[in-house]
Amino acid sequence: MTITSSPSSSLLARIGLRTLRRWLDHGARGVITLGGWATIFSIFGIFAYLFIEVVPLFYTASWSEETAVQIDTFSEVPPQNISVGVNEYMELGYVLRNGDISFYTFPDGTPIPLAPSVLSVVERSRRMPDFEEGEITALARSPGKQHVYGFGTNIGRVIPFYVTFRVTFEDDVRHTEPVVTAGEPFEAAPDGSSIARLAYRETDSGPIAAVLTDPGRLFLTKVQESEAGGLFALETESELLQAEITDDGVDALSVLVLDDLGETLLGGTKDGRLFYWDIRDIWSPRLMGIYSAGTSITALSYLIGDRSIVVGTERGTVAVWMSVIDPDVGGDPRLEKIRDFSPHDGAVTTISPSLRDKGFLTADVSGGVALHHSTSGQTLIRIPGNGSAVLAAMFAPKTDGALVLDNSGRLITYDVENEHPESTFSSLFFPVLYEGYEEPLHIWQSTGGSDEFEPKFGLWPIMFGTLKGTIYAMLLATPLAVLGAIYTAMFMRPNVRAVVKPVVETMAAFPTVVLGFLAGLWFAPLLEKIFPAVAAMFLLIPLAVVVICVGWQFLPSRLKGTSGNVTELTVFMLVLAGTTWSCLQLNPQIESWLFDSSYKGWLQSSFGLAYDQRNALVIAFAMGMAVIPTIFSISEDSLSNVPPHLIAGSLALGATPWQTLTKLVIISASPGVFSALMIGLGRVVGETMIVLMATGNTPVMDMNLFNGFRTLSANIAVEMPEAPHGGTLYRLLFLAGLLLFVFTSIVNTLAEIVRQRLRARYSQF
Amino acid sequence: MSDRIKKFLSSGTLFVWFCGTAVAASLLMVGGVLLLIMVNGLGFFWPHALVEMTLTDGTRVLGELKGEEVIPHSATPEFPEGKTRVRLKVGNRDLYGLDFRWVDTEHIASADSPKDVAAFERREWGNFYGRIREVSRGEDVVATGNQEGWKALQPLIEQANDLQEEIEHLQRDVIGDINFEIEGTRLRIRELELRGQDDAREVAELQAMTSQLETQYHKHVETLRALSRQLDEYSVLLVETNGQEKRLPVGQIVKALRPNDMDFFEKILRYFMNFWSVLSEEPREANTEGGISPAIFGTVMMVLIMSVAVVPFGVLAAFYLREYAKQGLIVRVIRIAVNNLAGVPSIVFGVFGLGFFVYAVGGTIDNLFYPEALPTPTFGTGGILWASFTLALLTVPVVIVSTEEGLSAVPREYREGSLALGATKFESMLRVILPCALPGILTGLILAVARATGEVAPLMLTGVVKLAPALPLDHHFPFLHFERKFMHLGFHIFDVGFQSPNVEAAKPMVYVTTLVLVMVVIVLNLSAVALRNYMQKKFKASAV
Repeated sequence: MTITSSPSSSLLARIGLRTLRRWLDHGARGVITLGGWATIFSIFGIFAYLFIEVVPLFYTASWSEETAVQIDTFSEVPPQNISVGVNEYMELGYVLRNGDISFYTFPDGTPIPLAPSVLSVVERSRRMPDFEEGEITALARSPGKQHVYGFGTNIGRVIPFYVTFRVTFEDDVRHTEPVVTAGEPFEAAPDGSSIARLAYRETDSGPIAAVLTDPGRLFLTKVQESEAGGLFALETESELLQAEITDDGVDALSVLVLDDLGETLLGGTKDGRLFYWDIRDIWSPRLMGIYSAGTSITALSYLIGDRSIVVGTERGTVAVWMSVIDPDVGGDPRLEKIRDFSPHDGAVTTISPSLRDKGFLTADVSGGVALHHSTSGQTLIRIPGNGSAVLAAMFAPKTDGALVLDNSGRLITYDVENEHPESTFSSLFFPVLYEGYEEPLHIWQSTGGSDEFEPKFGLWPIMFGTLKGTIYAMLLATPLAVLGAIYTAMFMRPNVRAVVKPVVETMAAFPTVVLGFLAGLWFAPLLEKIFPAVAAMFLLIPLAVVVICVGWQFLPSRLKGTSGNVTELTVFMLVLAGTTWSCLQLNPQIESWLFDSSYKGWLQSSFGLAYDQRNALVIAFAMGMAVIPTIFSISEDSLSNVPPHLIAGSLALGATPWQTLTKLVIISASPGVFSALMIGLGRVVGETMIVLMATGNTPVMDMNLFNGFRTLSANIAVEMPEAPHGGTLYRLLFLAGLLLFVFTSIVNTLAEIVRQRLRARYSQF
Repeated sequence: MSDRIKKFLSSGTLFVWFCGTAVAASLLMVGGVLLLIMVNGLGFFWPHALVEMTLTDGTRVLGELKGEEVIPHSATPEFPEGKTRVRLKVGNRDLYGLDFRWVDTEHIASADSPKDVAAFERREWGNFYGRIREVSRGEDVVATGNQEGWKALQPLIEQANDLQEEIEHLQRDVIGDINFEIEGTRLRIRELELRGQDDAREVAELQAMTSQLETQYHKHVETLRALSRQLDEYSVLLVETNGQEKRLPVGQIVKALRPNDMDFFEKILRYFMNFWSVLSEEPREANTEGGISPAIFGTVMMVLIMSVAVVPFGVLAAFYLREYAKQGLIVRVIRIAVNNLAGVPSIVFGVFGLGFFVYAVGGTIDNLFYPEALPTPTFGTGGILWASFTLALLTVPVVIVSTEEGLSAVPREYREGSLALGATKFESMLRVILPCALPGILTGLILAVARATGEVAPLMLTGVVKLAPALPLDHHFPFLHFERKFMHLGFHIFDVGFQSPNVEAAKPMVYVTTLVLVMVVIVLNLSAVALRNYMQKKFKASAV
């Protein structure tokens, strides 16, 4: 070991070889330390990163006031004649009152002059030739759409009215331009009286309107638009379908809303009653029920999907009601109050549902605004009022803001940080009453066909599935691996052991995707056929071992050779293979003896268990196989590392090998076996491919051995590719990953500490 | 007697027997699984004999015999054993709908292996089993009859395969190159626009180039059409065993075999040819047929990139922990952390890789360096680089632990001797310790590679795809395309076995892929074990 260098080199000559070497040494120390720390840092970095991605799930929503402009005074306009709206980027909003519309840009709040074309539409809609003296007395926003309105007039007409935001791109800069159009008016109150309350909905085949006239009569109208006959006629013909609803008490209605599908109509009265009509047949609307909300109902709204209804009252209470159909009885749905939200100080004036989730905004007479989320049952934000009643409000289309108009004429926009309203600790880990269910349940169903779907983020079913797979796999793997390790370490000849141990450890190298494939495509269909034989094996193999073992004692020892040799191992294999083979041969007979000729029927009738092809038993075998080598190898190591002089001492003192094993070896190696089991547990819990491929991945919650389940890991693999970056599902899957990370870390740390202790103890001898 | 029983029980022999049975069970499971994979995987390449059966109702069935079983619940007093049925791969998916068919043994009137039936491997619809009625060129019949047709067909198939190769070359290489350049100029124009340097002359130049490339493109497409027409020039009229006819362009046939007419050596030869073609060919029919070469290539590439990433970090960390750090609580905690990392489920690494590498790092790279391609992500989506990095994180504990083992096996005297001779610590590390620890490092690397080869779950989130349009390595600058998605043997198994529409027909392919994967992993593991043994021996010998 010499350092060869040429002293003639000029650089070296100047700084000296010794210095250079010292620098190099220092530099290397620095680089290695840095590299070491970087690697170690990245390990902790993983945990930190997972944590950072999960935390926003539990942020409480926050708000800030963005714009507040004084636009006019409104005291003389009744609230049922006012609405506000804002576009999806919160850049452009409008105020609609008495049929007038004015637009404002945000966040500066400057009014923008209306283009002549817009004006003319407004003018025209107000001065339609056939109702020149008509005056707008009520307006209603069409549910499920952002800026579609119906205007009700004092002569019983309804005018459809549309605000759209036309977006154009010019040099990659977005320009938004408001466009206003009015539709064909129709007669909604046949007696020509003034419309006091209006519910309006736009459908593909024409609008539907429910109107309460000044004299207190309730009419339901649908305009049936159909393409007029004739091959070339393209104009549509419309026909009015109309009925009067004459149920007792309709004259007391103070609020009226239609659902998004146009199937039900809801009315609230001043004396606190809730009317619920079925209007699928426009000709004959049918009252399905009257419910009591306690006090005077001042605001009503459906939530997206039409199954949940928000009821606001004069006392400021906010509650969600749900339409429930009894699964046993069937028939009409009934309404049931399921959740109360924290109440307002005064009467609720406006409810604005979100158009993308189950959130909604409520506002009250003293100017207070609150945001709630139905599924999680929480009030996300409460903005205190300044005393003037809110006349109209809109929850921003992207649920990231709100536009509010109060009766002092202030138009306010709020910026809302509200990324994950549906996830709270309790909505993730406790049962939740979801739409369409009878009782609170743990459900995981993250995505549905449409926006109306209520995402169900109960983590329990998946955690339960993880637990189920782990338990069954460990039940199978533990005895095989630990007993095998005991035999290998204590009774096997060293030359046999030198072959057996690496062979079993080869199994650890099997890619789990291979085990999953075999389990799902080979073993699962096979097991379905030979289940009776497999069930019999669990009984017959131990029995066969006992019988042959006893018989073996009578054989002359010349034949047996020393214990733990190849002969003995071959006998074990023969016993095992022979019993397995006979069970397989007798499969149909076993099925008829044990299971009344059909095990599926037997399971169903005796225990009420259904048999799925890809079930927990398949997983138990496959995951058991994946984890046996791990447990086997570590247990075997700790068993064979028991200091030999201890064993020799025990044997020398006259203990039999059996006594030495039970009283000394197993006890002193038990921490090692324990840590082997812990490491095995950690491996099973996070196993992905086997579970993904060999279960049906259905997130059900029962311990049935014969059906599938979904685990945290498989859930990540299934749903992550479809989860939008930064969304609630995305973060929830990070939470699943974090749970796995934390669990396996705890288990492995425990195992490692136990192992280090054990090593220290052995080294004392 | 009861004494003997008592003695027998207290001797624990019975318990020992149970322990022994547990070992035997584990061994049988390993052996069984290996055997299962070998039989199914290796059997795939053998040219199976074709059986032609006449059924009692007069119809005939032609196909490969794929097994026999007792019909469930068929045991009757006359047949206490139950009736049996055989499973045939009858192919001709376009005519029959299904590739497989069960035939009850009692319905078979006679069975035979005629020498003149042939198996045609087609580019679409799987195999065709049957005979040739005529071979024609356009409308003109060139050869009629099975024997004549067979003779005429052989050179035609070879010709068609050559043509097919030419077409593929044209599509992939020539037209692929042009597309690549067109995309390049498009991005260049966009880049100039974004930078605000889009002076008209340069843009016009680029646009001229694009249109020139497009002209070339159209020219090649014309050639391609001509070739395709040529491919369809000859057609063959096939007839299945019941006389149903099917006309097929010769270009649709990959190869035609008469397995019943082959002797043993021909079959062996064919066996290895089949084996090679699976390893070297591109997949067809949604990966269920053809070869697995892109998956092998992708796996190898990914593992190589991972190795380059994992070795320096793992070795540095191990040297730090073992040679430089002060042994104490911190190092103990770090060791536990490293061990924990080895126990963290692989899917968690996938989640981390997706969030950190793909979205955070990749997204930033896109914004900084590839704004012209946005909103199409370049690095901000899964790719081979991110998958490799994710697996590098996953396997870094393996390298650390193994290198540490290697370092701890280096006798203390070596260090002391080196230092005593005046070497600095770094010099003795570099010249003495590192060479001695090299087998340990290599063992770690091999184990890491073995683990990475078999790992699928994290890849599913970080860039593996069922069918990659282009390999991550090609002749376009910069040759290595780290951002590209890739195919992987393990994912291939998952995808073909569980997401293809015709799982039954895809099974052989899955078994073959499994065989290749398992062999690679086991060979890697065994070599790691061998290396470790060598290392132990070497130091045992030198320590004396």
